[in-house]
Amino acid sequence: MFELGPALSHLFQVMRSFATSHGVSPVLAILISKIIQTNIIILLVSLVPMLLVYAERKVSAFMQARLGPMNVGPWGIFQTLADGIKLMFKEDVVPSGADWWVHFMAPVVAVAPVFVCYAPVPFGQGLTPVDLNTGVLFILSVSGISTIGILLGGWGSGNKYSMLGGLRAAAQLVSFEIPRVLSVVPVLMWYGSMSLRTIALAQQGRWFNIIPKWFIFYPVIGQVAFIVFLISSVAETNRTPFDIPEAESELVAGFHTEFGGMKFALFFLAEYAYVFLASAMATALFLGGGDGFLLPNGIIPSWIWFLLKTFAIVFLFLWFRWTYPRLRVDRLMQFCWKFLMPWSFVNIALAGALVLVRMR
Amino acid sequence: MSHLPSLVFYAMSAALILTAIGVVTMRSVFYSAVSLVAALTVVAGLFLLYGADFLGAAQVLVYIGGIMIIMLFVVMLSQRPHDSMERQTNDQWFRALCLALVIGISLVRGFRIFINQMVSTVVPVPTSASLGRLLLGDMLLPFETVSLILLAALVGAVLFGQDKKS
Repeated sequence: MFELGPALSHLFQVMRSFATSHGVSPVLAILISKIIQTNIIILLVSLVPMLLVYAERKVSAFMQARLGPMNVGPWGIFQTLADGIKLMFKEDVVPSGADWWVHFMAPVVAVAPVFVCYAPVPFGQGLTPVDLNTGVLFILSVSGISTIGILLGGWGSGNKYSMLGGLRAAAQLVSFEIPRVLSVVPVLMWYGSMSLRTIALAQQGRWFNIIPKWFIFYPVIGQVAFIVFLISSVAETNRTPFDIPEAESELVAGFHTEFGGMKFALFFLAEYAYVFLASAMATALFLGGGDGFLLPNGIIPSWIWFLLKTFAIVFLFLWFRWTYPRLRVDRLMQFCWKFLMPWSFVNIALAGALVLVRMR
Repeated sequence: MSHLPSLVFYAMSAALILTAIGVVTMRSVFYSAVSLVAALTVVAGLFLLYGADFLGAAQVLVYIGGIMIIMLFVVMLSQRPHDSMERQTNDQWFRALCLALVIGISLVRGFRIFINQMVSTVVPVPTSASLGRLLLGDMLLPFETVSLILLAALVGAVLFGQDKKS
């Protein structure tokens, strides 16, 4: 019933007209409202990881027949807040063998691109912050900058474990970025656009009035693309079973061994924000974005649908983590280059054939 | 407010020149590589500023997400204490300086001619669709040739990387 997008845009319009009627120049009013909108995104990106950390602890606890955090607040819902405050007040320890500047810059470089990546995500009707024409490519490319942060952390710590973690991270992230990009290509070919909003909107409609026209329901190409995208997204976010850059049993904690307090928190903020971003991308690309199912559209607003689907995929990420054991380094690379890559190429060829059939 | 774009342009250019100087003057190889990352990011920003959205995204994807990570990978494996002992110039620095000056001056003079011919008020339009049409239409032959050369390079790398005994 309640669409957030039009309401927000109306609110901003009212605020802008109020400001201009009190002697603020219109250009300045637009600039300030843009800054406020940007801050809303930044706030969202900072709050989502807190939610995900809590979800991860609860989900893992239930999967292992435990209760998880219970003491801070009802059902422990304020646990991550308490953890955040604790991390903020911790001493910032820089090892004597570390390079101070690189050690300082690493979490910053890792976390800064995340905020930019949320710009083209269509959170629902009228809730796309910036409808970029190259949205998908933009997210995939900018999220690659975070790898540099991990490398800086690995090198700047002056620790062999960190270094090995950084090297592994570089090899893994560069490799898995390729199937990830390739798995998205069929979607782009089918809808003829790289804007996430256009792709999400194009998936509305029903086959035989029942099956939603989401890309995942397209025979073969949809499922293969979705599975490859999901697997390589898990690898891109350094999560189990692909968490060899921070494998606890081999590398202490990998690239973030020497980071504590806020720096450590920033690395984790980046990781969880990327998990949410990957889920949001999968929702927009494969699951129809804010399109509802079973219920007729409009009963539940599109942004709630979008968040529901995104959290469903986030739950998949958590489920993988507590189900599968870690892969070996060489197996991981083999899996990427000899399995995911060829099959995504086959999928692209199939999608091309289908596009040709549709054009006839 | 109207000269905000040119202000951004000058700020970015200054950052680009600073980081580019950093690449060649830094003593540590790792610092140079990081400086190169920053320079390439600023170049991508310049592309975006002038409406080349696809080029900007591709620049970040290929150069920063791919090439620079491999470069940092190699630098991380190389030893640290030795690179600060090395001399940063060799005996030919004066000749190199002359050559660089000549190339620089001729580039500036060349661009002067072009700047006068260009139309400055072009509204930027999304480029990816037209780029795709160009690559798979008029430019199909060069595009395919380049991809064939790259494929040959890949096969060659696999051949050289193979174990000699097998």
